[in-house]
Amino acid sequence: TEAAATSWDVSLWGKRRAFTEHVEKLAELVSEKTGGEFTLNISYGGLSKNRENLDGISIGAFEMAQFCAGYHRDKNPSITVLELPFLGVASLEQEIELSKAVYSHPATQEDLGRWNATLLMPSPLPQYNIVGVGVAPATLADFEGLSVRATGGIGAAMETIGAVPTSMSASEVRQAMDSGVVKAVSFAPHAHMSFGTIENGKWWTTNLNPGTVNCPVVVNTDALADLPDAHRDALLGSIDEALDHYVDNYNNNTMAAWGPALEERGISQVTFADSEIAAFKEAAAAPAAAAWIEDNTARGLPAQELYDLVTGMIAKGM
Amino acid sequence: MAGSSLVLSDDSLLSRIDQRLYRLERIFALISGLAVFSLMILAVISVSGRNFFNQPLPGYVDWIEQAMPLIAFMGISFTQRDGGHIRMDMVVGALKGRTLYLVEFITTLAIFLLMVLLVWGTWSHFDRSFDFGAPMWSRDSSMDIALPIWPAKLMAPLAFGLLAIRLALQLVAYARAFLTNVENPIAVPLIADAATQAAMEAEQVSGNEK
Amino acid sequence: MEPIDIGLVVTGGMLVLVVLGMRVAFAAGMAGMIGLIWIFWAKSGYDPARFEKALTVAVKTAGQVPHSKISSQALSLIPTFILIGYLAYYAGLTKALFEAAKKWLAWVPGGLSVSTVFATAGFAAVSGASVATSAVFARIAIPEMLKIGYDKRFAAGVVAAGGTLASLIPPSAILVIYAIIVEQDVGKLLLAGFIPGAFSALIYGLLIIGMALTIKGFGPAVSGFTWKERFLALPPALPIVFVVVTIIFFVYNPFGGDAWGTPTEGGAIGAFVVFLMALVQGMRWPQLKEALLETAKLSVMIFTIIWGVLIYVRFLGFADLPGAFSDWITSLTMSPMLILICILLAYAVLGMFMDAIGMLLLTLPVVYPAVMALNGGEFVSAAESTFGMSGPMCAIWFGILVVKMAEFCLITPPIGLNCFVVAGVRDDLSVQDVFKGVTPFFIADAITIALLVAFPMIVLWLPGQV
Ligand code: NA
Ligand code: NA
Repeated sequence: TEAAATSWDVSLWGKRRAFTEHVEKLAELVSEKTGGEFTLNISYGGLSKNRENLDGISIGAFEMAQFCAGYHRDKNPSITVLELPFLGVASLEQEIELSKAVYSHPATQEDLGRWNATLLMPSPLPQYNIVGVGVAPATLADFEGLSVRATGGIGAAMETIGAVPTSMSASEVRQAMDSGVVKAVSFAPHAHMSFGTIENGKWWTTNLNPGTVNCPVVVNTDALADLPDAHRDALLGSIDEALDHYVDNYNNNTMAAWGPALEERGISQVTFADSEIAAFKEAAAAPAAAAWIEDNTARGLPAQELYDLVTGMIAKGM
Repeated sequence: MAGSSLVLSDDSLLSRIDQRLYRLERIFALISGLAVFSLMILAVISVSGRNFFNQPLPGYVDWIEQAMPLIAFMGISFTQRDGGHIRMDMVVGALKGRTLYLVEFITTLAIFLLMVLLVWGTWSHFDRSFDFGAPMWSRDSSMDIALPIWPAKLMAPLAFGLLAIRLALQLVAYARAFLTNVENPIAVPLIADAATQAAMEAEQVSGNEK
Repeated sequence: MEPIDIGLVVTGGMLVLVVLGMRVAFAAGMAGMIGLIWIFWAKSGYDPARFEKALTVAVKTAGQVPHSKISSQALSLIPTFILIGYLAYYAGLTKALFEAAKKWLAWVPGGLSVSTVFATAGFAAVSGASVATSAVFARIAIPEMLKIGYDKRFAAGVVAAGGTLASLIPPSAILVIYAIIVEQDVGKLLLAGFIPGAFSALIYGLLIIGMALTIKGFGPAVSGFTWKERFLALPPALPIVFVVVTIIFFVYNPFGGDAWGTPTEGGAIGAFVVFLMALVQGMRWPQLKEALLETAKLSVMIFTIIWGVLIYVRFLGFADLPGAFSDWITSLTMSPMLILICILLAYAVLGMFMDAIGMLLLTLPVVYPAVMALNGGEFVSAAESTFGMSGPMCAIWFGILVVKMAEFCLITPPIGLNCFVVAGVRDDLSVQDVFKGVTPFFIADAITIALLVAFPMIVLWLPGQV
């Protein structure tokens, strides 16, 4: 059948950055493949607040959106397994494989199905590390009493080494750091650059790697089903290329800018001894995982199974 | 721009309902004021905790976000009753009698329809965050300490529902004023001219001066 | 119709509702609701069978806005700033301030009115609202000025104009609202208001001294206060300094160390300090209850406008009207500075008929992106910009300019609210009297605004230090 023109609204937030490059690429590819018949109108913050993007999908206000699991764990408990501390994910490619496996698990699909949402693709982020002001910590013991902006599993992990996790939205981080409310901030590199923590920061941890956040791109399930076949094929057939572009851009542009950005500002790089990191992981990882499994089993999720899925794949180096 | 204004009363049923409702609205507004007070206390605890005990209040932001709907919504009907929501009264200020009551009826009807739709919309927003089957009935939680958000979301349809009742009452009062064409209708805020208005506001302020 | 046309029609309809006297908050909410229904229905090609679906989606989309937009930490500043103002009456701070200003400053030409200006500026540092400031000082300062032979119209004008300082000098509810709409740093904006506010007070003061020196029979200088009297007047006013210092230290530490917290905490701690003072001064539950009710009423009034307008803004997001407007503005061949001045003049006209907060909320979603585009975009660097300042700095500069415009409108006929309030407090003054008395201050304000436009550093120096 002849495909009629389709236009989808896409709700992102902030500004165009490494974190949104896969969606931008997807829009480009889809339009190209359908001869301009299927377009994605990307809005940065005009259609919804980021914490309400899943609600907007559920309502049908827009057809595609991005959000982070940690913004609201009760909305999407299944995918928060990917935010557990010290999973030991080594690369963006591996993060994609793990996300895809969790996203295609029936329990996850049912969890997001409550929002009429179908998971399309992840927005893989590297391990978080910490930028801070004041004297750089020489050992993990120096984190004792240090106030650090860290949310979710990473916050819980930091607490095990005596740090004091404090919460605030990303846009308040700079002010909080300048004003001494927090002495250190955990982010992925692109966020350290776009939220300005490196402007005043004095040091950066290279290998704390306590974990990361999981931020999927979802579509409205009905809208996906209503698409003409040609358009749906164009959309689903472009995902891998969009993700390749994202990873390529993150590794070769963002990470390439990161080292020089640190050097330019004279930020010292702190690397902890392997034995220390191992001890940190020992103290933080297992209790957090056990608590996660217990909480989510109570919610009726096959929590152990999801956890085993993720850790099993990592153990096999997949 | 109009701030607060006068509401007349008598011993009719309409007026008695108005005053009964006003008492409820006052309680809601006081809850809102107490929520502002609690923000203040919360900050004192947070700051002293951080500076003197090296222990910031966990989830300080989450708690503020819980208090905000109480402050923002609970007094909405109280304020509508007294005509405290600002408007441009250049046109209505020049109208009198039936024309005035008709225009007031129409704009009040528009607000009523809006609020009925918003009770529906905000209820659905609440409903998406609420799940009888889930721990703490929660399907949406705050960012830091994972407080359930449904109680905060429930405040909007609750306060808007009360406002819808108030608007329905005002519609009846305006309709009655239109039919009887009385000079000083009851149960609705009267338009004071700008000077009377200002005198009343000044009165409020100076009443507080010792 | 294209979404942009729908945007224009709905915006026109909203203005009609506002003029007809529909309460601004609900007129904006209504426009947003109808606009959303329209746009979702248009998306389905006006298929009658899909109207219900469009209605449902629109209502649920609008229904998200009140809770999701209101529950923000930055917005919590507004009720605490309002509470500070109400508690300050009970703490007796206003009277003490005026007495101290009088004893220290009344010896200059036009002394008592100069004292009044600086006392209002001092009170501005604890009060977040202009109208309340004018009302209080009308009671305290006008009688004293009349006693020594001031023209009653001028005395009233001083108080009406002095009140406007409260919205520039932090804390200021209206600056917080601006920061929220344009998504800029609240702390920096509050800080940015300080020098322009003090600068405005200084211009007012110079104007009065100039008038006193040239006009015969203008109010005399008041001398004869002993140094002992002067120093004794200070302690009762000191709590103001304490509150101001507290709030400032929470935003920015002038000595280069860490600030003590966030602006949110600073506002709340400031309120707590004033609360303790009011307790000492004898405030008990009945007075506290009144203060809380008044705070609730003013807060809910402001918050209702905020969410009402934000429903309209959500609709604008779907219609992309702000984008179209800024494309139009940037396509004009006029010089950018001239366009900016036209925008400010438009605010002066609009402000004659509208409330300051309502005016900013209704216009900024469309006007602000256009001004930013004019400067070269939100993320432009100072070197590449039109006005010679980076995107965030332009946002701060424009914010101070529009707030100063909005305050200017509080003392202009026909509905300058501050003048009505002053006339309302004083039985012997008509509104015309106050408008006549405040006229010299138009000139002072026009000079101030021109200087702020010509020398942005006056606004940007302090926030640039952070
Ligand atoms: Na102020
Ligand atoms: Na005005």
